Amino acid sequence: MHVARSTHPDAARRRLLLGMAAGVAAIGVAGLATPVMAEGPWQRLDTARSVLGDAEPSTQGLVLDLPHVSEDGASVSLTVGFDGELEPGDYISRIDLFATANPSPEIATFHLTPLSGKAEISTRVRLNETQQVIAIATSHQGERFATAREVRITVSGCLMRNGGDQPEPLSNPRVSIPSSFSPGQPEAVRTLIHHPMETGLRENADGEIEPRHIIERFTVSLNGETAFEAELHQSISASPYLLFYLSPEKDGEAVFEWRDDSGETARHVAEFEVT
Amino acid sequence: MKHRHNRNGLTRRQLIKGIGAASLLPLVGGAPFAIGSQSAGRVIVVGGGFGGATAAKYLKRANPAIEVILIEPNEIFYTCPFSNLHLGGLREMDTISHGYDELKDRYGVRVIHATAEDVDAEAHKVTLSTGRKLDYDRLVLSPGVDMRWNALEGYDEEAAEKAPHAWKAGVQTELLRSQLEAMDDGGTFVMVAPENPFRCPPGPYERASLVANYLTQFKPKSKVLILDAKDNFSKQGLFTAGWEQLYGDRIEWVGLSNDGRVARVDADRLEVETEFGTVHRADVLNVIPPQKAGWIAERAGVTDDSGWVPVKPETFESRQVDDIYVVGDATVAAPMPKSGFCANAQAKVVAAAIAASLESRPAPEAYWTNTCYSLVGPEYGISVAGVYRVQDGVIAEVEGAGGLSPADASKDSRALEAKYAVGWYNAICQDTWDTLLGGTAI
Repeated sequence: MHVARSTHPDAARRRLLLGMAAGVAAIGVAGLATPVMAEGPWQRLDTARSVLGDAEPSTQGLVLDLPHVSEDGASVSLTVGFDGELEPGDYISRIDLFATANPSPEIATFHLTPLSGKAEISTRVRLNETQQVIAIATSHQGERFATAREVRITVSGCLMRNGGDQPEPLSNPRVSIPSSFSPGQPEAVRTLIHHPMETGLRENADGEIEPRHIIERFTVSLNGETAFEAELHQSISASPYLLFYLSPEKDGEAVFEWRDDSGETARHVAEFEVT
Repeated sequence: MKHRHNRNGLTRRQLIKGIGAASLLPLVGGAPFAIGSQSAGRVIVVGGGFGGATAAKYLKRANPAIEVILIEPNEIFYTCPFSNLHLGGLREMDTISHGYDELKDRYGVRVIHATAEDVDAEAHKVTLSTGRKLDYDRLVLSPGVDMRWNALEGYDEEAAEKAPHAWKAGVQTELLRSQLEAMDDGGTFVMVAPENPFRCPPGPYERASLVANYLTQFKPKSKVLILDAKDNFSKQGLFTAGWEQLYGDRIEWVGLSNDGRVARVDADRLEVETEFGTVHRADVLNVIPPQKAGWIAERAGVTDDSGWVPVKPETFESRQVDDIYVVGDATVAAPMPKSGFCANAQAKVVAAAIAASLESRPAPEAYWTNTCYSLVGPEYGISVAGVYRVQDGVIAEVEGAGGLSPADASKDSRALEAKYAVGWYNAICQDTWDTLLGGTAI
């Protein structure tokens, strides 16, 4: 079979730099992977470097799933997950996401605990233009992992935006959580809440800048113990959506709390059992 | 420079075959085929929709000496554009049907009604459902879309018999129409709309409009509910303003931020469940599921892990497999939408590029246009137009070209646009299949 693109060494090397599909990397250039990966785009972004410190991240194990091409940069589905290996007893305790070409590159920082059970998170992000998105994961014992993906943003001729009515910020918190868990079996939990996530950069119809107004923190506690926490930034899409995992050890109560930068909060409480 | 396959008259067998084919053809444009002369190359086109039919016709127009074979299982093609008019009771199916006689008789395209079942890209061969294998110099795939069965839990081919998608025009359109006709007054027509990318971005909202128009006339107590996996959709401002004006609150749209994304479908009970657990019961359930490139594209090895086909923008040749060109909804061509008009425009670029490559000339510079009309009501049309060209190696919309119907247009202007929509349909179909449809009536 003719595989026109991938056999060209420069093209293949560039794809590796972008950290794209492993399938492409497998075509005859796998030997390049280690030295090339060391120059990952996280080394060129100050905010990412400050998360990494002096550590050289491993490029294996952290997986970032985004569309190659998105027709709506206001809401791009993103999933980040870790399926690599860690020392016994260690776990992924933090994941940082960056949009390299957004006005402010931070997307979110997620704090995970053993009660999270599984390091996999889905959300929706804003991407201003075609760019690389970076994910960095840090384990409890300080191991670091990094990956990146290029996303092309287009505005389809058939996709037009309208203003529409804006619902009340922090209204309508929605949570989908199983009513029963099995011990040691993490289950997916989804949350959604209304919020404009106003960036502080957008002009309104009168030509005035809309002040920044975003949800900054989202916390989930199980029986009073923090299980999952998210620091959110302007690059999270309006009406934040989060999918993450929980693995409670005993029956009880899950409390979900969203807090925005005006100090307002919304709460949702769910009961569950562990059988 | 990569190797280019060329079969030009190299073997006696192929030469004889070429003569046989050419001698069956009528005269084109008064210029007789020189019997016994070598063909300028053989191009197989798979799929007889907007992309494939246009590619076949324009290849023949570019160079009548190219042997063009169109593979299409159906003898009649029903267009997705205007199929919403049938659904809304405004048109019969025969007014959206097109055949292949004109391509055969006027242009000398060989049409084989069979399914292309496999592509051997290395050997440059296509295998048909009849068992026949055909050699090609260049292959054009216009495979359209396939549904991603079970991408929505519970929605598979069997479920589509009870909760039609009607996103390929034909029996599915008629099934959904018959369900709508049989629905009691006071019922709810529930539509599940997919996230991007999918075929015809404004299509679901035109459909909701024309269903609402039908209900207003015949079942005034009934409603339309759209459950959408998106927060923004094509021509949204124009549609919502039109809905309010023509249908009041008959159409309810629930977007992604309001838990509009459907996760599960129960076609037996005509129920859908959203991601956050709200169950909606339908009297007629129209599920437009996530989609991917038509199956033969996968067989040919031109799809990537997104399920769609990446192409070189200058020519629409596959990025992954040489000598295979892909047009239409199957391709990754954003910001061009997945529309029949775009497929037609892309096919002309492909025809020119192939005609040039068979003569070892460089392809002419490519540009494309898209025009898309939607009917909010029988006398209420809206449109969007765009012009595209290659910029920095990717397809880009030309700024300042194209545009959208104004938000504050008069009633007369909307009525004129509805008439233009009919003219648009007649013209694009004539350009594609050479079929002539008359009149400006909806």
